[in-house]
Amino acid sequence: MSNGVPEIEDAKCLFIFGYNAADSHPIVARRIIKAKEKGAKIIVTDPRRTEAARIADLWLPIKNGTNMALVNAFANVLITEDLFDKDYVAKYTEGFDAYKEIVLRYTPEHAEAITGVPAADIRKAMRIYAGSPTSFILWGMGVTQYGQAVDVVKGLSGLALMTGNFGKPSVGCGPVRGQNNVQGTCDVGCLPNVYPGYQSVTDDKVREKFEKAWGVPLSPKAGVTMTMVPHLAQEGKIKAFYVFGEDPVQSDPDAGHMRHTLDHLDLVVVQDIFFNKTSMHAHVVLPATAWGEHEGVYSTCDRGFQHFNKAVEPKGDVKPDWEIISLVATRMGYPMHYDNTEEIWNEMIALCPKYAGATYEMLDKYGSIQWPCPTVGHPGTPYLFSGNKFNTPSTKGNLFAAEWRPPKELPDEEYPLVLSTVREVSHYSVRTMTGNCAGLQSVADEPGYIQMSVADAEAMDLEENELVWISSRRGKVMARIMPSERINKGTVYMTYHWWVGSCNELTIDNLDPVSKTPEYKFCAAKVEKVADQAWAEQYVKDEYARLRARMGCQTAAPAAAAEAAANAN
Amino acid sequence: MAKKVLTVCPYCGAGCRLYLLVEDGKVVGAEGAPGRTNEGTLCLKGRYGWDYLNDTQRLTKRLTQPLLRDKSGELAGVSWDEAIGFVADRLTAIKKKHGPDAILCTGSARGPGNEANYVMQKFTRAVIGTNNIDHCARV
Repeated sequence: MSNGVPEIEDAKCLFIFGYNAADSHPIVARRIIKAKEKGAKIIVTDPRRTEAARIADLWLPIKNGTNMALVNAFANVLITEDLFDKDYVAKYTEGFDAYKEIVLRYTPEHAEAITGVPAADIRKAMRIYAGSPTSFILWGMGVTQYGQAVDVVKGLSGLALMTGNFGKPSVGCGPVRGQNNVQGTCDVGCLPNVYPGYQSVTDDKVREKFEKAWGVPLSPKAGVTMTMVPHLAQEGKIKAFYVFGEDPVQSDPDAGHMRHTLDHLDLVVVQDIFFNKTSMHAHVVLPATAWGEHEGVYSTCDRGFQHFNKAVEPKGDVKPDWEIISLVATRMGYPMHYDNTEEIWNEMIALCPKYAGATYEMLDKYGSIQWPCPTVGHPGTPYLFSGNKFNTPSTKGNLFAAEWRPPKELPDEEYPLVLSTVREVSHYSVRTMTGNCAGLQSVADEPGYIQMSVADAEAMDLEENELVWISSRRGKVMARIMPSERINKGTVYMTYHWWVGSCNELTIDNLDPVSKTPEYKFCAAKVEKVADQAWAEQYVKDEYARLRARMGCQTAAPAAAAEAAANAN
Repeated sequence: MAKKVLTVCPYCGAGCRLYLLVEDGKVVGAEGAPGRTNEGTLCLKGRYGWDYLNDTQRLTKRLTQPLLRDKSGELAGVSWDEAIGFVADRLTAIKKKHGPDAILCTGSARGPGNEANYVMQKFTRAVIGTNNIDHCARV
C-alpha cells in the first residue's frame, strides 16, 4: 500500500474496487465506516452488494471479468471532462499520449455495453473521485485474481496519477494484502526476481553484495513462480518442490491437476504445522512450530514491521522453521547456524537499506515501523512517494492503459454460470488453523456454501441450505446453496476454505501473463439439483470423515459440523 | 491469573496487535492490544483464532514428529536426523542430475515470520543455487 491503514479514515473519497473488506479484513473495514462517519464519499465497484456497497454513495455493480474496460472508461472521463490535474501529469508522469490514445476508445457508453455499469454512473464516479481533495483507492483480489490483472492494477494507479493522488496522507493505492504476512514474505525476498528489500537479482552490483554476504556465487537469472509448477513439471523442468507453510492442493487452482503434478515429481517436501492435503502427496514431512510457539517479525499490509512473541512451548518433536532449513543447508555442505530470530533479522536488515533502522529494539519501542526506515531511530514512513518521486528510472509515474480482454473460459450452454471464489469472514486461507478453533468452526463449516442470486435459486427451485452438485470442466463437488439478494444473477461465489465443497477442484489455471496469478474469479460452472437430500447429507458426512481419517484424525466428526447438518435437515 | 503475552494476529494483513492469555503454559484467550492499525480492537478471527494451538483435532491434527514415506508407501515417524538427511541427499542428487533450476522452494506468507522466510530464500539462492523461490502471494 502506498499509504497506511490509519489514513483510510481521513480520506475525503474512498474508491473501493473488487475488495470486500468486511469479510477479508474486518479491522480495515472499520476504517471505511469511520471515513463514512467523517463525511467521506464512498464509491464501490463490485458485482456483489458488499457491506461497503451498502453504505456507499455510489455503487457500480460491474459484470464479472470486465474490470479493464471500466478502468479505461474512468480515465476517458478524466480526460474528456477535463477533470485531471494537468500540472501534476506534466511534472510527475510520463506516457500520457499513448495512454490517451487507448482510453479515448473507451467512452462510458462503450464501457456500459461491456461492464453493465450505466455510463452516467461512470461519469459521476470520476466527478466525485477527481473532485475530492484526497482520494484513496482500495482494491483486493477482485482486481488481482484475473487473467488480466496487472493491467488493471496499473490502470487504477493511473487514475491516482492523473488526479495527483500520491505523495501525501490519505491518498494513493491500497492493494490490501490478504494473508497476515504476504507483505513480509515479499519484503524478505521470497520472490523469484528480487532479494530481500526488493533488490533485483539481475542487478550485478546488488548480486555482488549478496554473494559477498553469503559467501557463494549466485544465479543472475530470475526464477519462476510457484503457480508455474504444474506447467513446468509437465515439461520436465521442475523435479523437486519444497512446500513450506502452504497447501497448494487446497489453495491452488485445478486441484486435480495439482495432485497429478505432485504425484509425478521426484521429490515433494512439506514443512508445516498441520497435516494437510498436500502432505498426502509428500515424500517427507517436517513438523514446525506455530504462531504462538515462536517469535519473529510480520509485515502488515501497509509495510509495517511488527515484532510478535512466543506465548507457549511447542508440543511434540517440532522445530522452528528457520532451524529446520538451517539444518538442511548445513547437511548439504553450507554451514548455516543461527541462535535466534534476532540474529537472522540483523543479518537481513544490514543488507537492505530500506529496513536498516528497524532493529528489534526500535520495533519494540515504536510498536510498528513502516518501511522505508533507513536509520536507527527513524520512525518509519507512513506514505510513499513523497515529493512525487516514483520507483522508476526517470522517477516519473507511468501512465498505462491496455485493451480489455475477456476471461479465458466464458459460460456456455453446458456450463452456464460464472464461478468466482471469495472469502469467509470466520475462516482463513486453507483453514487448517481456523478450522481447528471451536468458536470459528461454529460460524461456518463443511461442506461450504454457494452464494447465488435469489432469482437464480428460484429459477432452479433451490432452497437455502439445499445440497447441490457444482461442477466445471475440471471437477465436481457438493456444497450448500445460500441464496442472497447481494448476489448478481448468473454468477455463483464459493469460499475456498472447504474440503468437501472445495472450489479449487473447479477453478481454472489461467494465469495473468505478468504476475502469474490464477484467474480464481472467473470460470464456467453448472449447478445440479440432488433429489435425495438425505443421501446428500450422508455423503457430506462420509466424505468429511473420510478426508479426516486420511489426515490421521480418527475422532468422531466435530460437533459443529453435526449441528450444522442437523439444522439443515 | 493469566499471563498476557503481547503479539500480532496471524490472520490477515491488517496486523492487529493482541495479547494472548496464557495459564499453566496453555493459551486460554486473546484480547485486543493497542496497535497502530487496530487501536485495541479485534475481529472474530483475532479473538477466537488461538485454540488450534491446543491441537483440538476438529479438522486435522498437528504434526508432532518428522514423517518419511516408507517402503509400503505410508508416511511413518522418523528421527530428525533421518528426515533432514533424506531431504539433503535427495535435493543434492536432483541438483546434480537436473541442475538447480529443477528445484522450487516456497516461503510461507502465514505464521512462520520474516526471519524464517529470509532463511528459506537464502537457502534457495545460496545452497540450491536458483532463484526459484516464491510463496502464496498469488493464491
